[in-house]
Order: sequence, then C-alpha cells, then structure tokens
Amino acid sequence: MSHCRRNSARGKVIDPYVKLLLDAMKHSGCAVNKERHFSCEDCNGNVSGGFDASVSQIVLCQNNICNQAHMNRVVTHELIHAFDHCRAHVDWFTNVRHLACSEVRAANLSGDCSLLNEILRLHFGLKQHHQTCVRDRAIRSILAVRNISKEVAQKAVDEVFESCFNDHEPFGRIPHNKTYARYAHRDFQNRDRYYSNI
Amino acid sequence: MAEGGGWQPPRPCEAYRAEWELCSSAGHFLRHYYVHGERPACVQWRRDLDSCREWEERRSAEAQRSLRESEQARVQAARKHGLVWAPRQSPPADWHLPLPQDNDR
Repeated sequence: MSHCRRNSARGKVIDPYVKLLLDAMKHSGCAVNKERHFSCEDCNGNVSGGFDASVSQIVLCQNNICNQAHMNRVVTHELIHAFDHCRAHVDWFTNVRHLACSEVRAANLSGDCSLLNEILRLHFGLKQHHQTCVRDRAIRSILAVRNISKEVAQKAVDEVFESCFNDHEPFGRIPHNKTYARYAHRDFQNRDRYYSNI
Repeated sequence: MAEGGGWQPPRPCEAYRAEWELCSSAGHFLRHYYVHGERPACVQWRRDLDSCREWEERRSAEAQRSLRESEQARVQAARKHGLVWAPRQSPPADWHLPLPQDNDR
C-alpha cells in the first residue's frame, strides 16, 4: 500500500474531523468507499488535493502532502466538498457562487485557517483574522480550478460569505481543533435524542 | 411536575458541563476572538447545565421549558442564514457507480 493510501486510511480511523464527515455522508446516502472515492496522484504545482465532481472522487496529491496532520486536513477539506455535493445541488462548473460557497466552508471548517496554521505561514493577525484567511484561501482555491479573474472570484466570495461562513454543517460549530471536532461528533451521534426532545 | 412521556434533556448533563467549561476556557476566548473579534458568551451553557441538573433531581417543569427554549434558540440561530444552493432530496445518481473506464485524469 502506498504512503498516501496508508496515511489517508489512518486519518479515516483516528481523526475526529474525518470520522464525523464520513458518518454524516453515510447518513446522507453517500457512504464513502476508499477505493472508489479516493485517488492518490502526483499533481502539478503545489496543489494538495481536489474534489472531482464529474466522477465523485477526491484526489490526494501525494507529492505535495507533507505529513499525517497535513493529510488529515486535506482529506477534511475535500470531504467537505464531497459532503456539499452529496447534500445539495451544487453547480460546480457553471455557478462560481456555488463553488465559492463550498470553498468558504472548506477553508472555515477544515482547520486550514487555524491560528497556528496562519502563524506557520507567517500571516500574523488576531482580531477576526480567521475570516480574512477564509476569504483569501477561498479565492485562491477558486482561481486554481477556474479560469476567471481575481476580481470575479472575490466578488463571488463576498456575495456568499455571510451565508456560507455561518453554514457549519455537519459540525454544528467551527471545529477549531480536535477537541471541538470530537464534541461535534458526539453531538452528531446524539442528534436523534436532541431533535426529539427540543 | 413536568410532562412525562419519557422526555429527557436534549443533551446529557455532562455535555452541558463540558460545553460550559470549554466555552469558559482561555483557549476558547482566544479562538473566538480570532474568528469573531469579540469575547464569547458562555452564560447560557451554565444556565442549561443548572436546568439539566434541576430536571435530573426534581423533574422541574421550569427546567424543562428553559432547556427546550434554549436549544430551540440555538437551532434557529444556526438556520437563520439563507442557503446558496438547493438541497437534494436524494444523493447524486453516480455516487456509487464505478468510475468510467476511460477516465483520463
């Protein structure tokens, strides 16, 4: 088994972000089969991964993923796209607002923009810096897959930001670290009791 | 006494305690400020914990009402932002189909 396949498999077993997303997708009728829905490939540039909606498959760029923590974050990011594809009519290819929404959610909920990750990128900011990071990374992700101008991408992110930044499904909160993700997974597993008693 | 019929708090009391402790922590203050630019509000988790314990000990109708209202407010707050896309009624048709044989990626 390749390093990429082994590390992505390890994430599915032990990372609470990934475990919650896999459970939520199964609950939505999109049970994930690692052979069918994941592909490890060598990619151009410094792209870490992608979700190919035309074949419902996550691509992991094995030549650009550094370690297990990075793998977990990439898998989480792409599973958020897959989750959106599963639960909604996302027009990935002709509606840039839909693409922008999923990229805002993925940057917001995957840990991409955690305080630690931003500091490691030498991006120093505190008050509401998370939102700045989410906007910037969403725009970068859009530009990586669509031949449009930065202005068009930025306009799309601005139009959908309020709605999509506050859409925390399936986490129910922004999972700042594994503790928050574990709590979110606990809440997801408790949802029947929750909704039947409110 | 409150209504019977097997009602229980939406979350175990331990979950309310854990949420209140997490919310009250210095780490959460920092992360919340980093995201929202303001301090977090944690008092409702404490109220819910007290209501949960009140229910467990005395089956208080007031505690039941308070917990329901609090959680309904949380659900409403989570849903108040409109959706960009239309929800599906069923998963994508090709999700479980094999990959195309001539996949040229």
